[in-house]
Amino acid sequence: MQRRLPLMLVLVTGIFGAVAFFVPHGAVRSVDEVFRNDVQRILAAFSLVLGVGSIVQHHLTKIQRKASFWQYSWITLTALVLTAIVGVFGGIDPNRPGILPTHIGSFSFHIQTIFSNMMVPLAATMFSLLAFFMSSAAYRAFRARNVEATLLLAAAFILMLGAVPLGRAIHAELPSFAEWILAVPNTASKRGILFGVELGIFATSLKIVLGIERGWLGGGGGK
Amino acid sequence: MTPQADSARVSFWTRLQAIDRRWIYLVLAAVVIVPLLFPFKIKPKATTPVQKLFNYIDTMPREKALVISIDYTPDTRAELQPMVVALLRHAFATRRPVGVLAMAVYGLGLGEEALSQVAAEFNAHATNHEDSIINGEDYVFWGWTTPPLTVMLGMGERITNVFPVDYYGARTESLPIMRDLRNYDDMGILVTVAASAMPRSWIVYAQVQFGVHLSCGITAVSAADFYPYVNSGQFTGMLAGMKGAAEYEELVTAKMNKEGLDWGLRNRGTEAMSSQTAAHLAIMAFIIIGNIGFFATRRRK
Repeated sequence: MQRRLPLMLVLVTGIFGAVAFFVPHGAVRSVDEVFRNDVQRILAAFSLVLGVGSIVQHHLTKIQRKASFWQYSWITLTALVLTAIVGVFGGIDPNRPGILPTHIGSFSFHIQTIFSNMMVPLAATMFSLLAFFMSSAAYRAFRARNVEATLLLAAAFILMLGAVPLGRAIHAELPSFAEWILAVPNTASKRGILFGVELGIFATSLKIVLGIERGWLGGGGGK
Repeated sequence: MTPQADSARVSFWTRLQAIDRRWIYLVLAAVVIVPLLFPFKIKPKATTPVQKLFNYIDTMPREKALVISIDYTPDTRAELQPMVVALLRHAFATRRPVGVLAMAVYGLGLGEEALSQVAAEFNAHATNHEDSIINGEDYVFWGWTTPPLTVMLGMGERITNVFPVDYYGARTESLPIMRDLRNYDDMGILVTVAASAMPRSWIVYAQVQFGVHLSCGITAVSAADFYPYVNSGQFTGMLAGMKGAAEYEELVTAKMNKEGLDWGLRNRGTEAMSSQTAAHLAIMAFIIIGNIGFFATRRRK
């Protein structure tokens, strides 16, 4: 029963989801609306509770066991609790205050300030590291070893030049040629890949709905 | 050439091949930072996908709304936020209703930042109520809700059912703008600005089911993934990367100047183009030097 009930639920909701997409009857539509607007949101709310619970449990265990870098777990937990309190009780910005005061004199710590001054620079820093790794990789690994690699190199050059206004200064038609590479040969190959991917998604979905693929139930997957 | 000179040349290329990566990092940091501090003048010219989106928004019926879905996170803010700002300026300059929603929870802060910036730019020059950009009348920020499937399908029926309250806690039913913005039928176009595969989901659930006009603003690295949808007409134009943002900014600036709104606003995408140009040239130089070294050492072997 422990495995059969989830399988039955997936079978019924999976088939209903597909049917609702094609059947415009009022009764089907209204049940579908309840599923989408109410049931899915309740499930999403549970996933939020699970997510917060999981991160708290993970870091508390790390602190208890004094695992490697356990000190950083305190930072994660403190940030989680403080931003949650400020976000829930502190309002949105100084013009829309909440029940919790979010400034001490001119020092403000409402949620938008925290977001703009901590979250944005931290995330941008992590992402911008990519440019450095990419440059190093381009220098060390991007070699014209054979015909395929040379073609790739030439296409990359044209696209890089086409992606900056300097390309037009070199040759008026260079940006158009770069766009042609994206619009024609790239599109042709992408379409082929997309067909394959979509057919794969369809087949996998069907296997899950029909209970052939049971990896999502946990316990190592398979039948 | 003497064997000694030849050997010295080989060792130079060999050493160059094994250069400490920190030198590469230093050069890249310099070519990114210096043009940001001392930018050189670049005037981007709109490519076809950018011009197509601009023309569509510019000529769509006045009562139809521009809806922007903030589907990216702060890591790609530098590349994508200028697109949202330019789109908002275009819509406000042509007095079109605007709806903004977030599919990523981080999009809330980014959407709020862009809306408050552009609304403040217009309100600083407003002389009366008609000139002003008012929340709830000229624009609405629906905020974020999950899961995306519920949002995309639900907005085709009734937006107020999906977002009963807006980001600021007001009942959406009570907002004047929502009287004429009920579902996809009232939208001129929905632009999904994303650094993920979210634009594809908008096609599958919003366009295929409800026929809404779509376009997208995406990072340069994912542009290749979305060209098939631009070619098929499923996306009405596209803004790809910082260059796409800069091109759109130029079109909007020209439009605003023509309308007498010459306020000298900062265009972040255009400003960053000199830095991006220098970085691209540096990477190309790295590739060329790396390949010269590769062939020089291979020939000797």
